[in-house]
Amino acid sequence: MLRASAAAEAAGVPSSSLVCDGFLGQGATTAVGLGLPNLPMAKVPGHVDTQTDNELRDNLTSVTVNAVIENLTAAQPAAVMIPEPGPQDVVMEGSFDEINRFFYENGWSDGLPIVPPTRAKIESFLAFTDLPTEHVIGKLLPDNREATVWNVAVNGVMAGCKPQYMPVLVALAEAMADPGYGVEHSGNTPGAETLITINGPIIKDLEFNYEQGALRDGFMANTTVGRWWRLYLRNVAGFILHQNDKGTFGNTWRVVLAENEDALAKIDWPPHSADFGHARGDNVVTISRFTGGDVIASVFGQKPEDMLPYLADALISQSGWQLIFTVGMADGSYTPMLVLSPILAETMAKAGWSKGDVRQWLFENARIPAWKFEQYIVEFTNFYSGGRSMFELAQLGKANELYGVSKDPDRLVPLVCDPMDIQIVISGDPGRTNAQVFSHNGILGFPTARAIRLPNDWKNKLTGAQ
Amino acid sequence: MSEETYSALWPRGEKTVEIAPLAPRLDTLEGKTIAFMWDYLFRGDEIFPILEAELSAAYPNMNFVGYTTFGSTHGSREGQIIADLPDTLAEHKVDAIISGMGC
Repeated sequence: MLRASAAAEAAGVPSSSLVCDGFLGQGATTAVGLGLPNLPMAKVPGHVDTQTDNELRDNLTSVTVNAVIENLTAAQPAAVMIPEPGPQDVVMEGSFDEINRFFYENGWSDGLPIVPPTRAKIESFLAFTDLPTEHVIGKLLPDNREATVWNVAVNGVMAGCKPQYMPVLVALAEAMADPGYGVEHSGNTPGAETLITINGPIIKDLEFNYEQGALRDGFMANTTVGRWWRLYLRNVAGFILHQNDKGTFGNTWRVVLAENEDALAKIDWPPHSADFGHARGDNVVTISRFTGGDVIASVFGQKPEDMLPYLADALISQSGWQLIFTVGMADGSYTPMLVLSPILAETMAKAGWSKGDVRQWLFENARIPAWKFEQYIVEFTNFYSGGRSMFELAQLGKANELYGVSKDPDRLVPLVCDPMDIQIVISGDPGRTNAQVFSHNGILGFPTARAIRLPNDWKNKLTGAQ
Repeated sequence: MSEETYSALWPRGEKTVEIAPLAPRLDTLEGKTIAFMWDYLFRGDEIFPILEAELSAAYPNMNFVGYTTFGSTHGSREGQIIADLPDTLAEHKVDAIISGMGC
């Protein structure tokens, strides 16, 4: 919304941005990142979704209209750039406690102690990449800051990573900067959190946990790389609570989910990274942003047909408003994830089922009545206005044809547009019959994978570091 | 025993944008063409008609370009819509925009 205003201003066309009370702060910091700190905004009092029609009209006529007129016709205050340190400047000398206090007070830390990023520590990370120190990986919205090899390392030090994690961190920064991921949406109000999955021999090289407790903190690689992600969002992308990060509740950062490739090899299922074009044995990170999820305990059954109804039910129960990413906002971008413990996958494979077979079954059976789907995206949320049914949208080419086969409101419609939209990962306690479902945030954190590039002489460097 | 001291470096990245000037403001809205741009959220379909009516009452010769001319600025076409925006605004002879909704 503000990006549209900024584009208009750049084209020489004045703008006024309509902003509810609660968005004014985020609007102001986002405007700074756009290079327009004085981008004018017209306040809409309160939050429109809870106002009666008369209240909304009164608020608009008494406050917003005048602000719009002023935004478009009155000279706006001059903007000034606040000077900042250089990328390799020392910003504080002091004890561990003093450094930590200074970083926290400047908004550069998450509240946990950070490892002071000294030059020597940073250089130990740089030894684990062949990329030049100043290499620019990309630019990260909303702050519009450069993601560089250097600041990847700085934040890696702070997060408590080991230097040899650097190739993973660089790949993650590359994925974060990929426009297809949509990092600029990471401060939206649903407050979804990214889940990093990792594949390849690097899982064992760096001692990622991929078995029992795979999503719990406690293993250094899983935990600190996950923490790095959130620190990097903070310090380079610019997502800071009460400023650009408007998550209503939010989540703590997630630890990295490593796939159990031993289990995959036993049943000859492809790794998660294969969904994104990578070969078995490639070192790959994949990022997706998930709004929530749940554990599916004690999946009972001796064959896939016994187990899958429960898993389909879990996909349904964890998919509500997020269906706007299947029809309405960004069609076909809803990609929920199902994490199966190895014993579940092995039981399915023993019956001759491939990962594709499981996906297809879930696609065909994880369905809800069309009226319920429409309730989520229209009645409950007002995400999709205009009064058109999914049938009509499909007829107009504004929804996948799957949703236009009938007008019957009781017809069952799929949660996603394609079986491949259901992500499946194998991890967790190998001997426990549990699964986990994550609901997804569509284009506001679309699955994005990157190959991890190891430095020359990786094995020797790794041995030396260990 | 004295406590160890550290020299800590800046953890952020250089900004890639300089402060840019805003577009010149209009001397009046009378006779001007205003475009509505919408992210298709938060009751914009109710809000823009109210704004149009109120502004028209204050400036009887204003013209308006509706949000459907652009499409949602918060969907999968956001990047393309913004990239095309200078041309779209010129095509419709737009003098100013009102963009919503941030809530």
